[in-house]
Order: sequence, then structure tokens, then C-alpha cells
Amino acid sequence: MADGVTAVLVDDHPVVRAGVAHWLSTADVHLVASGEDPEVAWTGPGAAADVVVLDLHLNSVTPATAELRRLVEDGRRVIVYSMRSDDEIALQCLEIGALSYLTKAEGADHLVQAVKAAARGQSYTPPALAGALAGDRSETRPALSPRETEVLVEWFQSESKEFVAQRLNITLSTVNSHLERIRVKYAAIGRQAPTKAALVARAIQDGLIGLDDL
Amino acid sequence: MTDHAVSTTTRQVLLVVVFAVQLVLMLPSLVAHPHGPAAWFAYCLLTAVLGIVAGHVATGTPTPPLLAVVPLAASVLVTTALPAGASLDDPDWGFGLVGWYLLLVLVERPKALVVALGVHICLSIAWFAHAGNGDVGTAGVVILSGTSFQVGVLVITRVLHRDARLAAEAAAEHDAARTREELARQREQDLKAGFEGQLGALLPLLADLADEQVSVADPTTRLRCSVAAVQLRRLFAENDDVPDPLLHELTACVDVAERRGVVVSLAVSGTATPVPTEVRRELVAPMAQALAVAHGRAKVSLLRTADEVRVAVVADAPETLPAPGRPVAVTVETSVHGGLVRSEARWRTA
Repeated sequence: MADGVTAVLVDDHPVVRAGVAHWLSTADVHLVASGEDPEVAWTGPGAAADVVVLDLHLNSVTPATAELRRLVEDGRRVIVYSMRSDDEIALQCLEIGALSYLTKAEGADHLVQAVKAAARGQSYTPPALAGALAGDRSETRPALSPRETEVLVEWFQSESKEFVAQRLNITLSTVNSHLERIRVKYAAIGRQAPTKAALVARAIQDGLIGLDDL
Repeated sequence: MTDHAVSTTTRQVLLVVVFAVQLVLMLPSLVAHPHGPAAWFAYCLLTAVLGIVAGHVATGTPTPPLLAVVPLAASVLVTTALPAGASLDDPDWGFGLVGWYLLLVLVERPKALVVALGVHICLSIAWFAHAGNGDVGTAGVVILSGTSFQVGVLVITRVLHRDARLAAEAAAEHDAARTREELARQREQDLKAGFEGQLGALLPLLADLADEQVSVADPTTRLRCSVAAVQLRRLFAENDDVPDPLLHELTACVDVAERRGVVVSLAVSGTATPVPTEVRRELVAPMAQALAVAHGRAKVSLLRTADEVRVAVVADAPETLPAPGRPVAVTVETSVHGGLVRSEARWRTA
């Protein structure tokens, strides 16, 4: 546990729990608890974990958004891990305050990066989520600059930040800061949540975004 | 022959018949027996009706049914002016003639005609009975021969009308069937022509293979084959009735590439928007070309925003992609970065 990141996983499939435990262990993230009941994130070692990885479909067709809301309102950093690549649900989870929305079709790399980013209180935007943000037609969607939109679309299309950087002739860190700015803009809309507020406050402190941009 | 043509011909024939009856049959009868001025007046009245109907037939306008009042009035005049005992006998020149006139005026209105003829016959019979000294046998023959002829003509006219209507309906039905057949043929031809136009690289390739001008051992030929396979698969998908045709066509192309061993991931974002077939062809073409030549991995994405539809592919593929034709409605951009080919087609919905 070099960087001491701890995580708790709520998922109803043992094979997913075993797989995620393995992926995280190879990336120096300690999975302290896992189970099919959301209570593992509230009791025992899971209650103190830095990051909660939450499966949205726990033995039920209706997504566990209420569970997500309860965790977020308690200030927990949550990553939603879903088998469904449904834009609307993804955007809804961001609105509630999830730091990332990952589909199970996306591999270990994205999950590890999302967990590490969440442990720092930062968002992570995997390609599918970028697609959902780029295709967002809701009235409340924040205004994105043309460059930000282009980064989102290119990232969705290529799944490679290096490729996006080469294509748009910018550095990798610029790609990341564009994605971060977009997420901050999204965090500034909709209902209040501790994680969202922290995201915005941090971005302003770091000079990533100005108050005028929100 | 249409209903209208039957009417016109009937009226013309009746006009000639009535004219002949009046001049050839009745005038001698009128002249041969002693008659008062009322009879001659009635004769003139009927001649006037003949003139009016002739005018209407000539101009092709319908005869006003109220004109039937004139022959009926003539009937009263003629019948009452007859000497006692002459009713419904030889000197009764008017009985048959008035019947023909009623037929001439009311031939298009069978019910009114039957009523008018009834009135006319009843009047004659009443006058015959009133005089009281006529020969019943002769009267019966006159009534029967006169009216049966006229009713016969009426029945024939109605039958002709019905036949004409049935014939017209059958002709219309036949025409409609011909039109439907022609439309179906045209549609099939259009579809065939469309297919031939869309077959693109396939037909020349098949011809070359058949003529043994190219060999499948040649990598270039294999490349042409895979391009043709994707084109053909997309074309098959084009006419399927599915809720999201664009995605359906993309999936079809991905399917062909996966069969060739390419690992393809397909990402979709945004909700389905209607895209015309022509535009769909152009949107899918660059991505289909890239998939056909891809090896290793490929990522296909479909993004639908509020005002744009974007189909992109990022693939391990040779740097020179086969030309996908000249797009009209969409913007295509192809570039190579770090060994990956990226090709994107964009279409503005608004």
C-alpha cells in the first residue's frame, strides 16, 4: 500500500468482486471490503475506505441511485460501476455526485485510474462518459468551449489520450485539464453534494477554472 | 360505354322514335278523323315539347322533368276532346303519343315516369268508362300494346344503364390493378438499380475473379474482397426495418470486420435521430472502408449531439485507405497519428 488508497466494492457478482480485487491489488489499491449488500460500505473496514465502487444494478432492475445519494450525502467518494452504458443514467449519477461513471465494458486501466483520482477527491472521465457528456442535450447542461467539446469527442472516439493530444496538438496534461474543467462545470450545476463542492473549490484554488467560467 | 353515353344515345333514339310516331303514325289518324281545335292545339303543344327536348339533347343538357306537365295537359285535352265512344279506339291518336312523350321527358327518372304514365292511363280509362259505349276489347289491346312497348323501352334503358355502370366499375378496377402492377414493377426496378449502383467495388471484383485476371493469393485482391464484403453487408442492412437504422448499419459493418478477426469496440452516445438513407451511406462509408482494411484493433463510435451526427473510426490500418467516393452531404476527415488511422464523417442535422 504505497499510496495507502483503500476501497470498498459493492457488487452482487462474486466474479466481479474477485476480478476487481485483483485489478486493484496490482495497482497498489487495497480493497478492504466487498459484498453484495451496500452495508459493507457503512460498517466494519468498509466504512473508512477512501473510495466506494458501487454497482448500480444490485439484484434489481431499478438502479441503486438512492444508495448512491445516501453515500454521496455522507461525503463518500463514489465511483459508479455499471453494466449499462446508458447516457441518461450516467449523467444522473454525475448530477447526484458520483466522481466517475464506468461501464463494465471498460477495462482495468480505467477503473484503477478512476479509483486513484477519486481517492484524491478528483473526477475521472472514461471515454463512454465523455460520449454521454458530448451527447448531452439537456437544457441545464453547462456551456463548454469548442476546444473542450473537441477534447471530449476525440477522447470518446479514440479512447487514447495520447492520440487526442497528437490530434489536437496539445500536451497530455492539457487534455486532462480540459476534461477536469468540463467535470468541474458539470459539478457546479444541479443539486449540491460535498464531493461536487470540493471538486469546484479545488479547481478554483488550483486556477484550473475561474468563477466567471461557471 | 359510360352512363352518360347511354343517356345521350337513349335520348337521341327516343327523339327519333317520338318524331316518327308523331309524324307517321299519329298525324294520319288526326287528319283521317274529325277533330276539334283542342286536338290540333294539343298536337302543337306536343310538337313544342319535341322541339324543346331536341334543343336539350343537342346542347347535352338534361331535360327539365317539369316539362312532363305539358304532355299530361295534352293528354287531358286530347282525351276530353274525343267524340263519345272514340276513346281508346282508332281515332284516339293521343293515347300512345302522350306515353312516348312522357318516356322522352322522364326516361332518366323511372319512378316519376311510372307515376306519370299511370296518371295518363287512368285518365284515359276513366274517360272511356265515363263515355260508357266503347269496345272494351279494342281498348284493352290499345292500352296493352301502347304501354307494353313504352315499359319495354324503359326496362331496356335501365338494363343498359346498369350494364354500363358495371362495365365502368370493372374497367376502373382493371385500371387500378394495372397501376398497382406498374408501380410494383417500377419499385422493384428502382431497388435493383439502387443495388447495382451501391454494389460499388463488388461487380468489377467478381468480373476480375471470373476472368482470372486477379488471384485471391494476392493481398491486394484480398483487400478488395474485404472492402466488397463490408459494402455488401451494409447494403443488406440498409433496407431493414429497425428503430435505429444508422446504428444497425454500423453494427453490420462491425460484424463483418469481427469475422475477419479484427477486435472492434463500438461506442454509441446520444439518442437516435432520423438520418436520410443517402446521408447514412455517406456517414458509414469511410468507417466501412477503414474497417475493411483494419487489422488488430478498431474503435468505432457514433455520437449524436443536438445538431450533429458523427461517425468515427480509429483503427490499426494501412496509411492509405481506399477512396470512399466523393461525399456530398457529410464532411469526411481522415488522418494518421502514431500508426493509427482516424476517419470521421460528420453530418449537421440542422
